[in-house]
Amino acid sequence: MPKQKQIYARPDLCAGCRTCANACSLVHRGAANPRLGAIRIRQDLVERYEFQEICRHCDDPPCVDACMAGCISKDPKTGLVIQDQSRCAGCWMCLMVCPYGAINRDIVREVAVKCDRCTGRQIPACVEVCPTGALVFDIREDAVVEPFFTEPTVAD
Amino acid sequence: MVHQSTDERPVCLNALVNLTDRTVEYFETPPELIRKFLGGRGLNMYYLYKYLKPGCDPLSPDNVLIIGNGLLTGMLVPNSGRHNVTCISPESGIIGDANIGGFFGPEMRFAGIDRLIILGRAASPVYLYLEDGRVEIRDAAPYWGLTCSETYVRFKRDLGSDVESEFIGPAGENMVRFACTRYGLKNSAGRCGTGAVWGSKNLKAVVARGNSGLPVADPEGMLAKYTELRDYLKKSKVTEVLGRVGTPLLYDVSNYLGAIRTHNSQQTVFFNTLNAEEVHKYVDKMLSCFGCVVHCRHRNRLGGEGPEYSTMGLVGANIGVVDTYQMIELNNLVNDLGLDVSSTGSYLAWAVELFEKGYIDAKTAGCELRFGDYPLMRQLINDIAYRRGLGDVLAEGSHLVDKFGKETADFLIAVKGLPQSDPHDVRYLKSFALGIATASRGADHLRSRPTLEILDLPAEVRQQIFGEPIDPNPTSYNSKGRLVYFHDNIFAANDCLGICRFICHGFNSPRNLDYTHFKDLIRLAYGLEFSEQELEEVGRRVVDLERLINFQEKGISRKDDTLPARYFDEPMPSARAKGSYIDRAGFDKMLDEYYALRGWDSDGMLPEERVAELNSLRGLS
Repeated sequence: MPKQKQIYARPDLCAGCRTCANACSLVHRGAANPRLGAIRIRQDLVERYEFQEICRHCDDPPCVDACMAGCISKDPKTGLVIQDQSRCAGCWMCLMVCPYGAINRDIVREVAVKCDRCTGRQIPACVEVCPTGALVFDIREDAVVEPFFTEPTVAD
Repeated sequence: MVHQSTDERPVCLNALVNLTDRTVEYFETPPELIRKFLGGRGLNMYYLYKYLKPGCDPLSPDNVLIIGNGLLTGMLVPNSGRHNVTCISPESGIIGDANIGGFFGPEMRFAGIDRLIILGRAASPVYLYLEDGRVEIRDAAPYWGLTCSETYVRFKRDLGSDVESEFIGPAGENMVRFACTRYGLKNSAGRCGTGAVWGSKNLKAVVARGNSGLPVADPEGMLAKYTELRDYLKKSKVTEVLGRVGTPLLYDVSNYLGAIRTHNSQQTVFFNTLNAEEVHKYVDKMLSCFGCVVHCRHRNRLGGEGPEYSTMGLVGANIGVVDTYQMIELNNLVNDLGLDVSSTGSYLAWAVELFEKGYIDAKTAGCELRFGDYPLMRQLINDIAYRRGLGDVLAEGSHLVDKFGKETADFLIAVKGLPQSDPHDVRYLKSFALGIATASRGADHLRSRPTLEILDLPAEVRQQIFGEPIDPNPTSYNSKGRLVYFHDNIFAANDCLGICRFICHGFNSPRNLDYTHFKDLIRLAYGLEFSEQELEEVGRRVVDLERLINFQEKGISRKDDTLPARYFDEPMPSARAKGSYIDRAGFDKMLDEYYALRGWDSDGMLPEERVAELNSLRGLS
């Protein structure tokens, strides 16, 4: 069984400070702006809610199918849905199909911004900085490996 | 792995907006000025001094309205969501400066503009739209007349849920002299009537959409520093309690001491229905501003946010409203109309006392004014914002001293024309009294609030913090000048950086962030090296510049660094603080010590060399 990095959100503990998104932006592009982070805090002061939108790394990710540049793929080893941003064409199809609204836009560079569960960091930056414990990091042992299409099928 | 930024932007880009000519100019702040003033309140004061026509009418197009972000606003720094709104105050006639949290400041920086300097007056209502380093002047006719919450919602609806806006409510539009600038439902640049200046310029709002990042010199270092500081701050007891119940916790403390302002400071003990635990029954959730580790902002069950300690004191205890529900209703009402709660509560209580003493007759009042009359207070607050009847009169604030008679000033709990913001009656704590007497914008607790000495700290810790031995007795007049001097400086530096007061060293806690932390954070963000002394010197310079502007505008000197007559002449009536008053000789001694530390002369004036130095800076663009 492969181990998958997973982030769980606890919206009731989220105070809406956006530090998670700011840290994500800082780590991934060296600049501060929560809008450029892959996690987003949805908040409405009048409707009185706040919750985190973050990529679930779906078993059957619609963004992979929708990406016309072919720059999003699901890594069978880690279970993570990874985007190669250098090939992103900025068509926003992944945003359109994501059922969780978990992909953001960087409209200055015209690229989609998507969670990679912080490759190269033991604990994702958003979880590391959250001051209220509203994000929880876990390594899932039970991630199911999809049996199909892992090896090319060749007809005799 | 951390990526280095390829974004490029100046440290501070200013937009000079002339609403009369509908022109916008952009310019960068040169590095030598950033070294002298950092940003935020400091650079705001610098540009106010530079663009101001001395002696201008605050509600005329000549007044300069500045919305300026701190040097660290928007960075991955704890509580870095703050900026300052600065102008000449229509309430007091001296500097008007207020600090505000929420999310607008960072958004403005992400939109590429660090400071707006607004001159002139638009012919019809406008709002400013900021995106990608540009400022557009747009028609605000559809938004004029909306309350604060309506304005907030309408901009989100019309321009997208991802924009942030800062605006005024009906009170600002009607130029009530103590109207405030607001973000969201509660965050306010509350004091000094900045909202009236927006209204006088026909400016309803500033809206920003920030698409760009702020490049950080050392991202990995900043991330590590953030987590280190967060853990350090969260260990503080004060931070923990503030995050749980917010500022209302201070009500119990003041009330226990017998130092809560009620009935216009004629009494000093009030009901425990306004205790934090009672208020907390109406709280759904505690919220954060940008980057905040404290989360002290309440979402209350009556549809708004708050109340803070100031609100509980001033539209609760001070006007005699006992019921928790009614007090929170008034809090929400004041917020929605865009009034400064501290001034509103102070003027209402003053009006009732003037009515009782016969300075306001029944004809002017229109009805009998009584403390604790909730429907009347509710009506009056509405009338002030929409300038109807007695409300229209009260909307003139401290200017009414001229109308009601000079002697009525003795009953107004105000200094330099600005009512006291803190609900704490300062007759007991002498350093607090000196702080509100000398604060540059009037009777204000956020310029100094020196309360560390009552924390019972060991002598060596006090020595380490203040640099010399401090008398720990809160009722003595010794070494209080040093306390106020210390807090004034660090709070000014703190405002220049755009960090919240609640995590600043010296604000209710001897822990929290001090000059060393500030220095580290500036280095990580920009690669700029500062020393602790340099940062303290920035604080001193800002306080001196504010003094200079105040002298230029209204001749502020020693005679104005005083307290409401009641604090000198009437001993406190109840509880543990019973019998306390401010002794005039003791007060003079504290003032002398304070002036000496600042290097001011015995009349509270800046030395000529300092004036020349500050004037010479005006030549820099």
